[in-house]
Amino acid sequence: VNAVHYLNQFFAGLGGEDVAGHEPVRLDGPVGPGRGLGLEIGVTLVCGDDYFGEHEEEALARLLRWLEEERPDVLVCGPSFGSGRYGYACGMLAREAGRRGIPVVGGMHPESPGVAAAEGAAYIVPTGSNVVGMRDALPTMASLARRLAAGEELGPPEAEGYLPRGLRRNERTRETAAARAIDVLLAKLAGETRTEVAAVFDHVLPPPPVESVERARLALVTEAGCVPQGNPDGLPSIRAHGWLRYPLPAAGTFASGRYESVHGGFDVSAANADPNRLVPLDAVRELLDAGRIGSLHDAFYTTTGNGTPVAVSTKLGQEIAEELRENGVEAVILSGT
Amino acid sequence: VRLELASFAAEAIDLEAAAAELDLADPRLDSVDVDVVHPGDAVRITHVLDAVEPRVKPDDPESTFPGALGTLRPAGEGRTNRIAGAAVLACADFPAEKRPLHEQEALVDMAGPGAEHSLVSATTNVVLTFSPAEGVGNEDFDAAVREVKLRAARDLAASTIGAEAEEVETLEHELGGREADNLPAVALLLQLSSLGPLYEIYLYGTTLDGFQPAPLSPLEVLDGALTCGEYHWAGLRNPTYHFQTSALVRELLAADGERLRLAGLVACRGYNQTAEDKERAAMLAAKLARELGAHGALVTTDAGGNSHTDTMLTVRACERAGVATVAIVAEMGGLTDWVPEADAIVSVGNAEEYVPEWRPERVLGGDVLLDGRPAADAGPQPVRNYLGAACQMGDMPLRAVTW
Repeated sequence: VNAVHYLNQFFAGLGGEDVAGHEPVRLDGPVGPGRGLGLEIGVTLVCGDDYFGEHEEEALARLLRWLEEERPDVLVCGPSFGSGRYGYACGMLAREAGRRGIPVVGGMHPESPGVAAAEGAAYIVPTGSNVVGMRDALPTMASLARRLAAGEELGPPEAEGYLPRGLRRNERTRETAAARAIDVLLAKLAGETRTEVAAVFDHVLPPPPVESVERARLALVTEAGCVPQGNPDGLPSIRAHGWLRYPLPAAGTFASGRYESVHGGFDVSAANADPNRLVPLDAVRELLDAGRIGSLHDAFYTTTGNGTPVAVSTKLGQEIAEELRENGVEAVILSGT
Repeated sequence: VRLELASFAAEAIDLEAAAAELDLADPRLDSVDVDVVHPGDAVRITHVLDAVEPRVKPDDPESTFPGALGTLRPAGEGRTNRIAGAAVLACADFPAEKRPLHEQEALVDMAGPGAEHSLVSATTNVVLTFSPAEGVGNEDFDAAVREVKLRAARDLAASTIGAEAEEVETLEHELGGREADNLPAVALLLQLSSLGPLYEIYLYGTTLDGFQPAPLSPLEVLDGALTCGEYHWAGLRNPTYHFQTSALVRELLAADGERLRLAGLVACRGYNQTAEDKERAAMLAAKLARELGAHGALVTTDAGGNSHTDTMLTVRACERAGVATVAIVAEMGGLTDWVPEADAIVSVGNAEEYVPEWRPERVLGGDVLLDGRPAADAGPQPVRNYLGAACQMGDMPLRAVTW
């Protein structure tokens, strides 16, 4: 087993709060709690809690570069117990390493911000809120790490002793969903409400208003599956995993018969009769002529928002937003269906 | 109202011989291939549009699927013969002309790891594979497939007329339900898709375009009033077979007067097209549930995506009207839509999970999947590709749990 261990300045023995601004360092072999894991730890990565908080991007980049050099079979973070800053750093590193295909084990109090930061990319062993929990946490963390390093698939969270990662896996039940539904309804009517799906939705806060729309550069973005007639680039009608950019007509609006929707989630006949209802170019041109919008970005961005997992849509949104920002776009009309 | 369901075991009937004699002629069709397969056969069936249990009204065969096939008369009354343990499967790929919407792959595996994901993996199936006559478009082809499929289901069951049934069940229901000991009154709000051609559930042979929530007898659901022409995700579809054998309707009828009072069933359209249409339909469904005197309502979904919004708005409207709800929904990685009022949800599983790969010895329905891969070696398939696997009327013993 080739393991890498991540610690903060305190647990690595560099010092306390006075050295919390310590920049990332790479130490050979196991350090501090790493010695208690009983794993073959080739490298211990360390970062000061304040440094990570204040230079997150830079700290992560350095830590990830070292991880890529080491190519470990498993990364162990902490345990960070109830610590906010240390837990967050562990969670962020765990998330990024997990997304790069490195199995990660952490140890945290269930209410640590690091649990949310890890976004399910790590197996996090629940611990007490302080270092007293060390003795209980290390053997479980080490055992999970060893099995993950060996390529083993872990069982369900309660049985294995890690926090649920937010995945939804199917299980066969004794009764049909119909029978369960009747039981759940009768229980609810008797005053005991329970659910098989605890919905978790993120809340996207609207950004502050654009300061001066009259001077702003506007872009048009849609998930309505609007493409040039014939769908030349093959945008899928469901579960799109990418987005497309097309130039806007230099003048005028979207002509019927030149653009269409390939969206598989609604009856597109009315939209195809007037593609400006997918992307409101007609209204925007009027506003431009009236001087109520500064300028119009010369391309529109499109995908199909149908059956797309939230994680994929998030990524698509980030990619489009990045390109818009590079092009000096300050405002977007996002037409949804 | 009383329905007598007379069951005849599939094993006692020579389905091969009966299938060979079926009249499947239709001018809109070029050919119909007929195969009979049994549970455990190493067979994968592809492009499955629908499954239908063979049924016949012995006193009036013409009205077995009233409106959809023959003469109109209320379903859910009198006697119906069924071949238990059998199904007619209709398979077709649509002509190459442009589709109004995009249909998805639909599989039934008679063995292997996918077999537990379809009710009709456990039945003896008469598989009909349809090819359109030249020049026939999607909608005419589909109309022919729906008609011939129902005709086959009716004619297969015709041999039971005059024969002695293995079992006769008497199912009864009156609007309002069976009163006893102040049992809680429950309504079933049954969602039925209407999204345009190839995405339609048929009620007495007509689509639900423009339909507003209306009472329907649970016995009508079991007795051929509803037929499927809805070819969205196979797993989230409500095939005709699932209406005919609906676990939810059966459980509710069994519980009526025992654990609850089945106040009534309300048919609701799924895929109302505008925000106002959705709000209006949700409001009317909730209002009907309340007028039926329901304390609680079960809310089902048909297919998914924007029909889940219909479900959630219906839940919200019911809760605001003082009717407690349970929604039955499929997860597609997560929920497609949700309202805070939906505090009691029953999961029928995560339709995005993959079923391990399986290599059948034989493929019926079409050798190439819609995504271009060979059906005999197509790799792991998502649950959503299996017919009825995550049916949101709750027929399957599946759910998703958090890992």
